[in-house]
Amino acid sequence: MIRMDRRLFENFDMVLMLFICLVCIMALFNLYSASFPHNTYGIAPYVRQGYFFLMGFTAFVFVISFDYQELHTLNYPFYVLITALLVIAFFVGDKAGGAQRWINLGFFRLQPSEPAKLMLVIALASFYSRKEVVDGYSIRQLLIPVVLTAIPFVLILLQPDLGTALMFGIIFVSMTVFVKLRVSTYVIMGSLALGLGGFAWEQLLKPYQKQRIQTFLNPENDPMGHGYQIVQSKIAVGSGGTFGKGYLEGTQGHLHFLPERHTDFAFSVWGEEWGFTGSLIFLGIYFLLLLWGIHVAMYAKDRFGVLLAFGVVTLIFWQAVINLLMILGFLPVVGIPLPLVSYGGSSLLTTMLALGILMNVRMRRFQNPQSTDI
Amino acid sequence: MGLKLFFKEIDNITEHDDEALNLLKKRLLGAAIVVIVFFTIIVLRLWSLQVTHGKDFEKRAYSNRVRVQEVVAPRGHILDRNGKEIVTNRPSFNVILIREDSRNLGDVLKRLAPILKKDVSELWEKIREASGEPRYLPIRLKEDIDWETLAYLENHNHAFSGIRIEVQPVRVYHYGDFAANTLGYLGEISKKELADRDREIYSGGDLIGKRGLERLRESDLRGEKGKNYSEVNAKGFEQQLLKSIDPLPGREIRLTLDAELQQIAETFMDAGEKSGAVVAMEVNTGRLLTVVSAPSIHINEFVGGISRTNWQALLDNPKHPLINKAVQASYPPGSTYKMVTALAGLAKGAITEDTVFYCPGYYRFGNRTYRCWKRGGHGPVNLKKAITESCDVYFYQVGQRVGVDGLAEYARKLGLGKKTGVEMEYEKSGLAPTKEWKLKYRNGKWQEGETLSVAIGQGFNLATPIQMCVMTAALANGGKVYRPQLVETVVDPEGNIIESFKPELMTEVKGLDRYFRLIREGMEGVVQGKRGTARKVAIEGLRIGGKTGTAQVVKIAVYRHLKEKDIPYKFRDHAWFTCFAPADKPEIAVTVLVEHGLHGGSGAGPVARAILSEYFRDRLQESRPEIATVP
Repeated sequence: MIRMDRRLFENFDMVLMLFICLVCIMALFNLYSASFPHNTYGIAPYVRQGYFFLMGFTAFVFVISFDYQELHTLNYPFYVLITALLVIAFFVGDKAGGAQRWINLGFFRLQPSEPAKLMLVIALASFYSRKEVVDGYSIRQLLIPVVLTAIPFVLILLQPDLGTALMFGIIFVSMTVFVKLRVSTYVIMGSLALGLGGFAWEQLLKPYQKQRIQTFLNPENDPMGHGYQIVQSKIAVGSGGTFGKGYLEGTQGHLHFLPERHTDFAFSVWGEEWGFTGSLIFLGIYFLLLLWGIHVAMYAKDRFGVLLAFGVVTLIFWQAVINLLMILGFLPVVGIPLPLVSYGGSSLLTTMLALGILMNVRMRRFQNPQSTDI
Repeated sequence: MGLKLFFKEIDNITEHDDEALNLLKKRLLGAAIVVIVFFTIIVLRLWSLQVTHGKDFEKRAYSNRVRVQEVVAPRGHILDRNGKEIVTNRPSFNVILIREDSRNLGDVLKRLAPILKKDVSELWEKIREASGEPRYLPIRLKEDIDWETLAYLENHNHAFSGIRIEVQPVRVYHYGDFAANTLGYLGEISKKELADRDREIYSGGDLIGKRGLERLRESDLRGEKGKNYSEVNAKGFEQQLLKSIDPLPGREIRLTLDAELQQIAETFMDAGEKSGAVVAMEVNTGRLLTVVSAPSIHINEFVGGISRTNWQALLDNPKHPLINKAVQASYPPGSTYKMVTALAGLAKGAITEDTVFYCPGYYRFGNRTYRCWKRGGHGPVNLKKAITESCDVYFYQVGQRVGVDGLAEYARKLGLGKKTGVEMEYEKSGLAPTKEWKLKYRNGKWQEGETLSVAIGQGFNLATPIQMCVMTAALANGGKVYRPQLVETVVDPEGNIIESFKPELMTEVKGLDRYFRLIREGMEGVVQGKRGTARKVAIEGLRIGGKTGTAQVVKIAVYRHLKEKDIPYKFRDHAWFTCFAPADKPEIAVTVLVEHGLHGGSGAGPVARAILSEYFRDRLQESRPEIATVP
């Protein structure tokens, strides 16, 4: 089943690999600063993240070793496994910040909602590649994708983690719109979304979730309370100025003014220390990585490859955009990490798996490599 | 059902043609555009935050990281002219709460309340008031706790998380209510005061001069706050002390007041439960030696904020302790005004030293009879006798000859009818009425009969005790009207003299030395003469010139038939006595006003006598043996 053809090595995408490595190196440097000065107890976050990077690369190599077509079948056990983990996390998970999100595996606290994002991408890609519709999907044909999305969405919403749950909606919408819908489907889905949104605001949102959204609308009103994180993040990034305060010289992060500075707010440490110039370089590389992902999709050999590559780009792009807009004060604090940059094993492993799929699609972009190789 | 559908779909795997795949790939262009658009938004936002507003955020980042805590500066001391400490500072131990450091606040407060002898709700109220402030700022729960409470809290500090003891300098008044109405008191800065002032200098909870010299000299006395800059993390824990600026103590103010004289005057007024004012001033400089207003406020009621009940009691007190009667109250000067009439008469040529008027005990003018205070009359009266015996009939006629405007002219030349400009608040200007004044403010033509009243210091005339003292000093020194002053020196903490006393001549009446001497002789007779109205003030070995006065409170004759002690207190006349000594070479002028004191000589004289005997004590002791040797 696993055939490591010579052609495959020739098609290993050095450009994609370069972008991935550059982002990872910058992320580790940043994490070193973000967790500085280091606490005496435990392993420093940057060391742990280093291990996760190694694990991530191992997973990356594992993923490129088999043909992505296998995902059509691997998809099912993966979906069942992750859903089971979400259910376990819901009932016996560790509590953090009032939400049940973690499964303690001893060496590593797994956040099943992270691989669940990738799980949805693969499931949707698989579904949409098998069921092709020329004139767009009808609402009836969307039943299965909706169910596939709703299961993790509801489980995570109940944790409760609104931000992550909404990511599933975003992935669903992005991929579904990409494969083309009928106009009538847009109208029905749109009105359903509005109705559900209104109902959710009234009935489902926890007070702290409402508070976050309200605070976002006017963060300066409550600088010591709920708006604190946004204000502090803006101060950190803004005070970096054009050229930054210098590596390890950032004051906001090191003096703990910045909350969750090595997880969700990792980029504000970068912004503070490297300024606009450094941020531009960082974002430039990140941007090229995503564009290259679209390039991979463009040259994929089949519909499944296109959808997988597009889905991976979607997954990384939306998380990055939401995280950055949050750090820059354009969105409420929703607990979405910046892929590859924020500290967190689950997110990093998931992202590396996703990038492995991207590389897989890239490496197998030619029709029937065996036959043309003769 | 759905599951069945799902498996059915899997069976329908279709072969894809290239055309359909290419259509799908074309949509990737849209995806690329979305990525570009969002990254452009992010870069523009970064430009706005970092490049456009980078400087602002840099400032905010700095204040964010550095916590500045103020250290209150010890307020400047206030000394008397001889360097005796009148007002200094002592440490006050305050119980404060820092919310950021506190845990189980409810339990802590429950345990703390009985120790502070307060209600838990009271403590919560204070915390609620400060709810808008940053959590690291202290909230004062109780000020100035005693040693026992302090010791208990220090020993059990582990049981009171977030509770700390703050040491703050507060005022200590070594001489009690010494010149309290003049020196004033401190109070917590009000919201309005805070709004009017420099936020760099003042902040909420500061003590600020509210009245008197403490208020007027606020900028000298307050000093500069110290500041502790410490680096803190967002949890509020101090990482390190970056820099500490020690507070700069306020400047020391040495008063012109003499503690001994002031105290004697205060004791005298207090002992007699008198209401009124005592002012003593150096004749040739304007240095104030005593400024007493009685009854005085009780200064210690104001330390740590005066209670509502105490404040209401002050407002309701019929003797008005809040008013500094030396400057903030004006009274008809009564007979003490007669020197003005005399000087005006002499200067205008209306009379000479030898002009004699006959006093039958009354004076008829128009269809009215104006009485002399002495029913039987003084008989023939010249100037000296008129002053010594305070003959009203004599001065009616002088006043009539000079006219009211002439009287006012000389009243003003001697410092009446206008503010002296002494460094005290809300000074009254008194009133030296003129015809023009009456037309303007009383809508009436001047009646000549009113001139008669003015000539003996009644009628529209009004003067403050300090004005009368300034006038007396001017009579004593030959016409020089000095501005009364309170401050001898202002010295900064390094010992540099920032300001020192300079006599300030306001006006000078020149070329009338002869007349002044005549008037002084008349005044000397008041004390030294056999028929003087203030013979009781006389001190052996000291020549004193003075003048008594009575300010009518009511004109109605209802009480005339009553004995003096039967007249209700509030309708009794005010008593004036003003004097200078030594008569031949005057140094000091003393003016006493006793509200409802009836007679100048008996009501007000003894205070002046006590001041003079203290002021001249050393010289009197030296001169006594001489007297003994010349029997």
